[in-house]
Amino acid sequence: MAINRSKRPQSSGDVNFKLPVILDFELNNRLNIYYCEKNDLPIVRINFLVNSGSKFDPVKFKGLSTLLTMTIDEGAGSLNAFQLSDEFEILGANFSVSSDPDISIITLQVLTENFIEALKLFSSVILKPHLNDDNFNLEKRKLLVRLEQVKAEPDYIADISYEHFLFGNQTAYSFPVLGLEQDIKNIQHQDVRHFYKEKFSPSNSSIVVVGNIDRDTIQQALNEVFGNWKNDSSTRIPEFNLQKFPKNIYIINKEDAVQTEIRIGHLTSKRNDKDFFQKQIMNLVFGGQFSSRLNLNLREKNGYTYGIHSSFSYFKEAGYFSVSTSVDSENTTNALKEIFSEITKIREGITEDELRFAQSSLTKKFPLNFETYRQISLNIRNKIFHSLPDDYYESYVDNINSISRDDVNKTAGDSIQPDALITVLVGDSKKILKQLVREEFGEVTSIGYDDIFIH
Amino acid sequence: MDVLNIPYEKYKLANGLETILFKNNSLPFIVINIWYKTGSANEVKGKTGLAHLFEHMMFQGSKNVAKEMHFRYIQESGGTLNASTSFDRTNYFEKLPSNDLELALWLESDRMGFFIDALNQEKLDNQKSVVLNERLERYDNQPYGLAWEKIISTLYPPDHPYSWSTIGFYRDIESYTLDDVSSFFQQYYSPSNASIVIAGNFDTAKTKSLIEKYFGELESKKITSSPEVSTSFLKTIKEMTLEDKVNLERIYISWITEKAYSDDDASLEILSDVLSGSKNARLTKKLVYELELAQDVNAMQFSGKYGGHFMIAATAKPGKSLDTIKEIIFKEISILAEEQIASRELQRSKNVIKSNFVYSLQNIDTVADMLNHYNFYLHEPNSFTFDLNRYTKVNEDDIRKSVIKYLQNNFVDLRIVPVKNNGN
Repeated sequence: MAINRSKRPQSSGDVNFKLPVILDFELNNRLNIYYCEKNDLPIVRINFLVNSGSKFDPVKFKGLSTLLTMTIDEGAGSLNAFQLSDEFEILGANFSVSSDPDISIITLQVLTENFIEALKLFSSVILKPHLNDDNFNLEKRKLLVRLEQVKAEPDYIADISYEHFLFGNQTAYSFPVLGLEQDIKNIQHQDVRHFYKEKFSPSNSSIVVVGNIDRDTIQQALNEVFGNWKNDSSTRIPEFNLQKFPKNIYIINKEDAVQTEIRIGHLTSKRNDKDFFQKQIMNLVFGGQFSSRLNLNLREKNGYTYGIHSSFSYFKEAGYFSVSTSVDSENTTNALKEIFSEITKIREGITEDELRFAQSSLTKKFPLNFETYRQISLNIRNKIFHSLPDDYYESYVDNINSISRDDVNKTAGDSIQPDALITVLVGDSKKILKQLVREEFGEVTSIGYDDIFIH
Repeated sequence: MDVLNIPYEKYKLANGLETILFKNNSLPFIVINIWYKTGSANEVKGKTGLAHLFEHMMFQGSKNVAKEMHFRYIQESGGTLNASTSFDRTNYFEKLPSNDLELALWLESDRMGFFIDALNQEKLDNQKSVVLNERLERYDNQPYGLAWEKIISTLYPPDHPYSWSTIGFYRDIESYTLDDVSSFFQQYYSPSNASIVIAGNFDTAKTKSLIEKYFGELESKKITSSPEVSTSFLKTIKEMTLEDKVNLERIYISWITEKAYSDDDASLEILSDVLSGSKNARLTKKLVYELELAQDVNAMQFSGKYGGHFMIAATAKPGKSLDTIKEIIFKEISILAEEQIASRELQRSKNVIKSNFVYSLQNIDTVADMLNHYNFYLHEPNSFTFDLNRYTKVNEDDIRKSVIKYLQNNFVDLRIVPVKNNGN
């Protein structure tokens, strides 16, 4: 007998979800540890977070933070760069170092049986890196070539230029994490050593551990390797005088490009401001997932793109709104018109249906964010990094559900400002300029990528 | 290792649908992962990319599910979803709170059985345009983005189903008709040509009866047989240079090797790690660190149901010559053909591979997909331990023999260089 397929089947009951328990404690030297025991697999994951991101790169030294993260694992303790890498591999460990605008992160993921051995290597990278001259110079040459290489990547050019025009010339977030060519050429070995000494200290760092290890063992193990670490440094956070700029379209020429990379948006409030949940709901409706207004319009109705999304992104000291997509060159202005029109429309608010959809999606998806060792580490990091309330995750679902349509609509009107939209187009400027009618789109500036960062 | 033993139950519905259940109640969600045993290898010349376009069409609605609603239902219930197409197969998956298992079964069975009812020209035109943009974004407008297509079309004989890429040629994508789409469905989208994995938090008896309820009545179709393919090696060395919007020159050297899970597949994978998997890997150490000729170097063994190849790619630093880089690569290959690698080199690779097996179990989506993967290639879903043992069994001499057997044959030498009149 055929079954009735015409209606969505009902959900069967409620699900039970218990948040993982996160503990925090201090080592003997007051280094902060955040720890979550997780025993479903024999894995330990540890992150060392230090406030030494690229926003701390001094003027004329853009790229210093990245050079430190590139050099820091080139030999440490009694091991040279090759020996160190060999030891990590023999332990089957995943080890990586990275930097973003705010922090540098050193990550180790390893099987529990090899954790203690791997931790020794991990801590030696943090406490006793060689940072020697030869390795530094090799990494510096590598970085300079990398800068040349990424100039061919349209999405990279778009992201970097967009952030630069958002933050203007004067703030520490205006420059790429990878740095600037002319600055890197001038950075010397001792600059990186000095930067390391200034930033790497117990008071400027924290450690996140998620793993198959009990609290006493981890505390003892961490105290053994980090407990005697002393370095009293104080780090001055650069000042941020953020301002919005008038609406403008920047075209960065990529001759013969078959697509145009598009970024549109402006600065908004910071992560720990009060309207976070409202913005999250609004964004989900606007461009935060597949069946958002933007994607249904530009992809599913018009076929201008493989995908489009919007987001509110948060640095420690700033937040911004952006729409991001790439479209076939011929449809550049058609796509822009639709995006601008959707931006205007979202300011008028969302419907009751859209609110219910967003709340349902966000709250029911919540448990899925705590599956892997990495996800839990990220959630802990997020909480420390943005100084979120202690019960942030415990109250997340209630907070989302407490938002009304009026709340969202007020936020939409306040936080989205069509007059302040910065637009970056990376593509074939001949094809783009042919389509752009100045009366319709306002100020247009054509600029070469190499000319953006002259300061 | 115990954790690599994934207990499962496998059975077939009367219509031929293979069903694999893996219960894990540690978290309150569930994964539905379906493999259709068809991919771009089942396409014909002139209609390349059809399997992938078809994957897109599967999200355009079916008899009881309106366009856009598949995504919307899953996202509303807090789930995530996606699909992917490769040479050999197409997969579709949802991950969602365990109380909405029935929702996912309803959606997947509706498009498995009643896809054609909702197909129309407007949807096809729209998705052709989306896929053309996908091709532009991920291949044509990416630096080095056309290398893969160029390599496989030169390396494999013209009648080999791996000689065109899964995304398909631009002109082919433009040419698809409604007939192409519906006949692809009729030829390959049958319960008897699919396997479904349910993994996560569920009640076994209830789940079995729901699977029967939603999939049991779907009719099986006669499946067009798979392509017949024999391994054939290149008759000559082929050299090509392609201009692209890049700033650094890159060389790709590729040899025909072996199918997935064939005797030498694992040793070739270890070989790729020995060559470029880490700072100590032979080519990385030499080209990137000691001589600073290359910015990066990557070796890989690709293998599928119908064939495989081994590839080494190296990006030259400005002013350094690809010829010199190539010379060093071949010098290293001849050393590897004569001398066994050090036992520590081998141990390093094996330890990393073993750990990666465990790390990959963190996501239940990955586990579900691997159960389907092993079922497809090995007819045994719980092959994690078997798979790991393929690598542990490799010895120093196996690596040497693989080098002799494959890497001393004819190859394709593709170079991607900056466009000469580059204004940027």
